[in-house]
Amino acid sequence: MSERLNIVDHNQLFRQDKYVRQREEKRAFEAPCSPEEVTATLEYTKTKEYKDKNFARTAVVVNPAKACQPLGAVMAALGFEKTLPFIHGSQGCTAYFRSHLARHFKEPVPAVSTSMTEDAAVFGGMRNLIDGIENCIALYQPEMIAVCTTCMAEVIGDDLSAFLANARQEGALPEDMPVPFANTPSFSGSHITGYDAMLRSVLETLYNKSGRTPQPGHELKLNVLLGFDGYTGNFAEMRRMLGMFGATYTILGDHSSNFDSGATGEYSYYYGGTPLEDVPKAADAAGTLAIQQYSLRKTLGYMKQTWGQQVFSISTPLGIRATDRLLEEISRLSGREIPEALKQERARIVDAMMDSHAYLHGKRVAMAGDPDMLIGLIGFCLELGMEPVHIVCSNGDRKFEKEAELLLKSSPYGAEATVHSGQDLWHMRSLLFQDPVDLAIGSSHLKFAAKEAKIPLLRVGFPIFDRHHLHRYPIIGYQGALNLLTQFVNTVLDVMEEQAPDHSFDLVR
Amino acid sequence: MEPAVSNGRLEVSCGKKIPKSTPCPRPVPGEASGGCSFDGAQITLIPIADAAHLVHGPIACLGNSWESRGSLSSGPELSAYGFTTDLGEQDIIFGSEQKLHESIRYIVSRFAPPAVFVYTTCVTALTGEDIEGVCKAESEQLGTPIIPVNSPGFVGSKNLGTRLAGDVLFQHIIGSTEPEQTTSHDINLIGEYNIAGEMWHIERLMQQAGMSILSRITGDGRFREVGWAHRAKANMVVCSRALLGLAVQMERKYGIPYFEGSFYGAKETSYSLRQMAYLTGDRDVERRVDKLAAREEMRLSLELEPYRKQLKGKRAVLYTGGVKSWSVITALQELGIKVVGVGTNKSTAEDVSRIADRIGDDAEYIPEGGARQILKTVRSRKADMVIAGGRNMYMALKEQIPFVDINQERHKAYAGYDGLLSLAKQLVHTLQHPVWELTAKLAPWEEETEFAD
Repeated sequence: MSERLNIVDHNQLFRQDKYVRQREEKRAFEAPCSPEEVTATLEYTKTKEYKDKNFARTAVVVNPAKACQPLGAVMAALGFEKTLPFIHGSQGCTAYFRSHLARHFKEPVPAVSTSMTEDAAVFGGMRNLIDGIENCIALYQPEMIAVCTTCMAEVIGDDLSAFLANARQEGALPEDMPVPFANTPSFSGSHITGYDAMLRSVLETLYNKSGRTPQPGHELKLNVLLGFDGYTGNFAEMRRMLGMFGATYTILGDHSSNFDSGATGEYSYYYGGTPLEDVPKAADAAGTLAIQQYSLRKTLGYMKQTWGQQVFSISTPLGIRATDRLLEEISRLSGREIPEALKQERARIVDAMMDSHAYLHGKRVAMAGDPDMLIGLIGFCLELGMEPVHIVCSNGDRKFEKEAELLLKSSPYGAEATVHSGQDLWHMRSLLFQDPVDLAIGSSHLKFAAKEAKIPLLRVGFPIFDRHHLHRYPIIGYQGALNLLTQFVNTVLDVMEEQAPDHSFDLVR
Repeated sequence: MEPAVSNGRLEVSCGKKIPKSTPCPRPVPGEASGGCSFDGAQITLIPIADAAHLVHGPIACLGNSWESRGSLSSGPELSAYGFTTDLGEQDIIFGSEQKLHESIRYIVSRFAPPAVFVYTTCVTALTGEDIEGVCKAESEQLGTPIIPVNSPGFVGSKNLGTRLAGDVLFQHIIGSTEPEQTTSHDINLIGEYNIAGEMWHIERLMQQAGMSILSRITGDGRFREVGWAHRAKANMVVCSRALLGLAVQMERKYGIPYFEGSFYGAKETSYSLRQMAYLTGDRDVERRVDKLAAREEMRLSLELEPYRKQLKGKRAVLYTGGVKSWSVITALQELGIKVVGVGTNKSTAEDVSRIADRIGDDAEYIPEGGARQILKTVRSRKADMVIAGGRNMYMALKEQIPFVDINQERHKAYAGYDGLLSLAKQLVHTLQHPVWELTAKLAPWEEETEFAD
């Protein structure tokens, strides 16, 4: 069918002669320097001298690998049933959050803005907030509105707590509607801190509203937190594992259904999420299990302090050992044995790792991403005999650096690694040229540096804009390890095959 | 029949009538909203491919938006880099002008761009950074134009930002350089962003008719090239809503006549080329355009034949902004598609009257956004497809409605004669996909079973 239609996309179209010629002709206007000079300069940017200059840079960020707080807050809000993310600030931010998340998940993203303009900047955004609440309730009928701020509202110092009280007084906001709110200026932290702030606020708001007193350990239930997680498949995998234990649990902040709904023929604003009434009950659980740490600091702190919860948290459990630890902890908290089926699964995945080990062993890798993801990736790479070399974490801090360094020291494969927190993808580019590696691991944003360095990019993390469905496959647990292993080894094989001389273009690998 | 707008446009251009400038509508709090002025300004200026674009603000504005435009460049790619000052709390409290100075110097010394655009954001506008002062000082110091773009998000909508970017072009850039040579057939394209390479199609058509583009404003544009736009013989405003003001200003200051036109659909394309040729004042060029249009329309009509057959009588809901709201209608009508619903939320009063000229009262007008409204129209008017931008795509797919992306992220060029063919193919392609057979039927277990006696 498509052959008959002879559909040519722009890539092929613009390789046609006439377009190539057109481009050549246009050079006259745009190239004040010679091709030799261009090549020479390009080569210069790959030198050590340039790298030093690049790393001496303090003021400007070139190609960042992080997003801002309210983006994370929107994701946290969508982890709860019939909850509308409501962003207090000027309208553009909201449009960005919606398209950013939509491009990653390929799903519609409900979120509204108070659309502050100049007058709000001068007189404060209270009117916008109150009118906005009234409008969005009428239009979208949420059961909870999760309000976060943008930097604009923070700079003028809008007082959300007072504004919301006024909204209730005016009757714009029904007395019984929960409205958690979080201050999420983008001039501090990143999307993971915003996620944390909003999740904490949701838990606190719903809990306080219930008027209960916590009875930790009263129920033999687990609380499970996945954090800022771009993989809807991770939620399914977590449920599958807990189900195999026969554990009862509450996932606090489950955005998987909102970001992975079916094409049923009827569009809805809300597809699922943690039921609101489950939140107060969660305070009575036997313990809390979190598979991210850096994106859940405040939330876990709140659960420990106010709910008196027993909390266990690790970074994204990628690979065998991290999953082992996770399962041991589920076993301890739930009082149930690790199921036989999971033990068998582990053996099978270890077998798969052995099948593939020859192709991954000794591969040098560079990686960029969020701190929790990177800790998991470092651990998994070390297990695979891959050597993490450059680790860039735009939103990492001292604690992350220490943890990463400690983990790297635990294996001879980590000996060469350097950890760069607070750096960006332009730093990464210098690292790739000065100390070349075989593979890069990270979000879609890393593809440009990887292409220049002529190495394949293994897409892991957030955001992934340019590949479909990766987020539907879990990367946590043994099953996740297998998925990542499959992605890694087959990419390596693809590259080998592309580069193979005829005599080693083998059928069996 | 000539499109009804032509007379009106010409009068405007001849100075008889100043177009009414209605303020951009204010966004309503609590609704799902579109982009902000900062976004609009970026959209207009980022296609200037050899310049560096530095966002002065916290991470939000750049961190969530860089590398997401479909404007193609035939050469330099510096504008695809994400530069930001990534302000933190300390910067907000103590000021960040020093950081901006350093950032500009770093970019100029390492990337040697012909110019740096520095974008104000909500935060730096509120804290009162003297961005113009910094830019001026650094321009003088470095000998590179450093251009302040004062369009923080809170001043209003995306459209307003585009207008403000037009002001920046007019005040700081146009008239700053001189072309090496000019001809009497030099045209500027204004508001054409080279999405999926559309501008290149148009350029080829113009060349065939003996006209050339003097300045691309701004799709596949170069900084110096925009600077000599004041030497053109005529301006064509391709996206009217946003940059019409620029054309008006250029007419007043440089006496360059302008017209509004579109390249969506064969008729509009021919009309636009004719209008250009008319404004060059060269009879020979006009004759060449006539020949070209006749030849292309004939060829196209033959090539479109099989697609027209498949598209005839199909019904579409069109939800797109500004100029596309009316110009795409023509294109769809040429393919035999009936537009049964059309979004007007980003259209001017003039745009709306052009929509009315084309479809009359036959279609539903959707003034306000929101998925529900679009879907309601699709259902009530029994539409076969939605033609809109990416933000509405997934919503349509949830409802199992065939969807064609017409906005900035698409990878197909729909402008010009070949573009219409490409659009026809895309529409047929979309409508014929076997997945619609799946969605048209219930799953077997949902069907009511008829039991035989």
